[in-house]
Amino acid sequence: MAMIEPVAEPIALLARMNRSVMLSTLVLNLLVVPLALAQQSDRAKALSMRMMCVCSCNQVLGVCNHVGCTYSHDMLKEIDTRVARSESDDLIVQNFVQEYGAAVLLLPAAKGFNIWMWLMPIIAVIGGIVVVRFALVHWRKNAVEVAPSRVSADLIARARREMGPDE
Amino acid sequence: MDIFGSFALVLALIAAVYAVGAGIAAIRTRNPLLTKSARNAGMSVFILVSMAVVSLEYLFFTNNFSMAYVAEHSNRDLPIFYKFAALWAGQEGSLLFWSWLLSIYAFLALFLNRRKHPELMPYVGVVLATVQTFFLVLNNFVATPFQILGHASAGGALTVVAQADGHGLNPLLQYPEMVIHPPMLYLGYTGFTVPFAFAMAALLGRYPGEKWIHITRRWTMVAWTFQSVGILLGAHWAYAVLGWGGYWAWDPVENASFLPWITGTAFLHSVMMQEKRGMLKVWNVWLVFVTFMLCILGTLLTRSGVVSSVHAFAQSSIGTWFTCFLAFILVACVLAFWKNRDYLRSDNQLDSLVSRESSFLFNNLVLLAGCFAVLWGTLFPVISEWVEGTKISVGAPFFNKVTIPIALFLLFLTGVGPLLAWRKTSYDSLKRNFAWPMAGGIAAGVIALVLGLRYIYPLICLIMSVFVTLTIAAEFWRGASVISARSGTNIIASAGQLVMRNTRRYGGYIVHFAIVVIFIGISGQAFNSDIQQEMAVGSRMNIGPYTIVCQNFDEVKNPNYDSERATLEILLDGKSLMMLYPERRFFLASQVTETMVAIQSTPLRDLYVVYAGRSPETNRPVIHAYLNPLVKCIWFGGLILVLGTALALIPSTQPVMVLRGATEASPAPGSPLPQSVGVAHGDD
Repeated sequence: MAMIEPVAEPIALLARMNRSVMLSTLVLNLLVVPLALAQQSDRAKALSMRMMCVCSCNQVLGVCNHVGCTYSHDMLKEIDTRVARSESDDLIVQNFVQEYGAAVLLLPAAKGFNIWMWLMPIIAVIGGIVVVRFALVHWRKNAVEVAPSRVSADLIARARREMGPDE
Repeated sequence: MDIFGSFALVLALIAAVYAVGAGIAAIRTRNPLLTKSARNAGMSVFILVSMAVVSLEYLFFTNNFSMAYVAEHSNRDLPIFYKFAALWAGQEGSLLFWSWLLSIYAFLALFLNRRKHPELMPYVGVVLATVQTFFLVLNNFVATPFQILGHASAGGALTVVAQADGHGLNPLLQYPEMVIHPPMLYLGYTGFTVPFAFAMAALLGRYPGEKWIHITRRWTMVAWTFQSVGILLGAHWAYAVLGWGGYWAWDPVENASFLPWITGTAFLHSVMMQEKRGMLKVWNVWLVFVTFMLCILGTLLTRSGVVSSVHAFAQSSIGTWFTCFLAFILVACVLAFWKNRDYLRSDNQLDSLVSRESSFLFNNLVLLAGCFAVLWGTLFPVISEWVEGTKISVGAPFFNKVTIPIALFLLFLTGVGPLLAWRKTSYDSLKRNFAWPMAGGIAAGVIALVLGLRYIYPLICLIMSVFVTLTIAAEFWRGASVISARSGTNIIASAGQLVMRNTRRYGGYIVHFAIVVIFIGISGQAFNSDIQQEMAVGSRMNIGPYTIVCQNFDEVKNPNYDSERATLEILLDGKSLMMLYPERRFFLASQVTETMVAIQSTPLRDLYVVYAGRSPETNRPVIHAYLNPLVKCIWFGGLILVLGTALALIPSTQPVMVLRGATEASPAPGSPLPQSVGVAHGDD
């Protein structure tokens, strides 16, 4: 269905931009794009792998290369600074949680309701095993009462003859 | 052309609604003319939606920027290749594309079975048309791709405003695989509608016999293959484009595509129980239902923004529609099942705990446990936010910790299951079939330990992989040897004959081998390493056996983008191997910068190099290099998987008959065969 929408901002300007302006834009863009720090200490790197980038890209902070991300560079730099100040891992993580919220952790702390995150898959597996075991035992028990007889060669031949075409 | 497209979509909706109404009336009245009319209406949806798709593509190719969707997802300098792919670049177009693929499936299902299963097909037509109606409502009223850019003047007249150029295609999508990956995945998602329709139809119509399950299995295999290819192409796209060095991040949208694949896999295994033994009927019907519902859930997650994802280009409030549709399907499934549950009573019982049946039960248990774990981890942030009011993240460590043990156990069952006999497996048979493969697996593990492999999961994966490979090889060898001894042909030709005699069984083994190869590729992740360094011309960086020497940095320009490019010479053991050119592209129309990864790929390892941009502190280029062992196995395994599935879909040259245990005496000649005598084409 053709529907009418208010006109969007014209973008034709872009097409008219000359190459030099474009190149300047490119250089500017590349300069302002936040990057992962070039040389991180092992500890800082390990810490960054325990956290998420908070720009909604859903990437681990240590590998976030989401272009245009306005968070990851500053977050990585902050980790480096705190590691350089010899702050403990727990303190750094705690500060990040205070600053960015619990979503900054790659995994939530295993306490309170969040314990269910780990428990439920285990419960599901145990529940599944119980159900399968129950089914096996139940079927096995019934099978004793109804012993299958042999199928004769004539019957096999007939079944083969009467077999319809496969779908 | 936009009016033409819109009109075609409206007609398609009318046709789909008519197909539902006429189909229901045909079922009630058993009127053959009405049945034919409903079927024709269902098939006509394909022609009408095709017209809409062609008109939208025409608008893309003619650069009609008065259309909002075209202006948003294309531009004049976009290569033709990508103009075609722009169809599914956004919400509206991808939903139209979805409707189109669904209409193709519906057309094929209705056309191929037009003279078969007269009791079943009217129900199938109604279910397919109902699903089509939902998507066509979205296409027509919620996310129409034929919206015109314009404004209404004071008198109410429409003034169309054609823009000089469009915003361009999302740069992340300007990669060859993005032309193939979404269609494959959508073919998987939409394809699961057909088995759903057949299962629902069989249940509602209380269709006698097991014929419907054979039809359902074939359609499921088709959809499953597309889903597998779609997932693997998506993983390859993430690997080659996103530039973080990995291929699977347990992103909610990735998980969403994985969930129906898991339940589809479970169904493809458990369906054999029903075909061969008449068991697990309730389970199979629900697996088909759940697979379809997970497809809709996946679409809901992809498009609603319920969960955070890197695939954020198609978020909207459309989630409410999908939630309602999902609820409708769930209610319909529960009601259909409850009303007809007696129809799904199993015929047979279990003869032995050590049997193929037991292994399938465990296979299904493990697959469903994996499916639940992935679903739970994906939805847990949303659940936690509802309960606690705090937003949390559930990242890759959770999924890895939970799914790796499950996956390894599944790999073990992949080796065990096919070697167990139906009904009962004797101790001697167990010993004969498993002794050498298990010894081979353990020997491989010991050698790996001696060579210094200390990671537990890769070690277990290696042992299981060798075990499964040997069991598969032994199966081929045993069968081919028998044929060779009888016919006098050589073992290779005999193996070919063996495969063609029972394509389903041996195609399945090849798919199992593909899974082994993919597992080996994934296990390589444990040995990944990376290094990031600021580099000037002449700088060197070492990673594994490679030395990366920076030769140059330059700028490349073309009408679509400008880029900064590094020229890196790769040395292996001191000798020049090749040049790599990682780039950082600035797309002119969309004003977005993207990385273009350079990969030197060998069967053993990938050298993966990213131009990470310039350091804000020093303005020097930063190169991030990764050494990823065995990644190529994953893509190679994908190829084998497709070959194996394609083979399994080819009819066998000599049908294999499997007889379920008959409890009756042999019938007299001419009298009907007992229900318990089951015939199957091909074995598993």
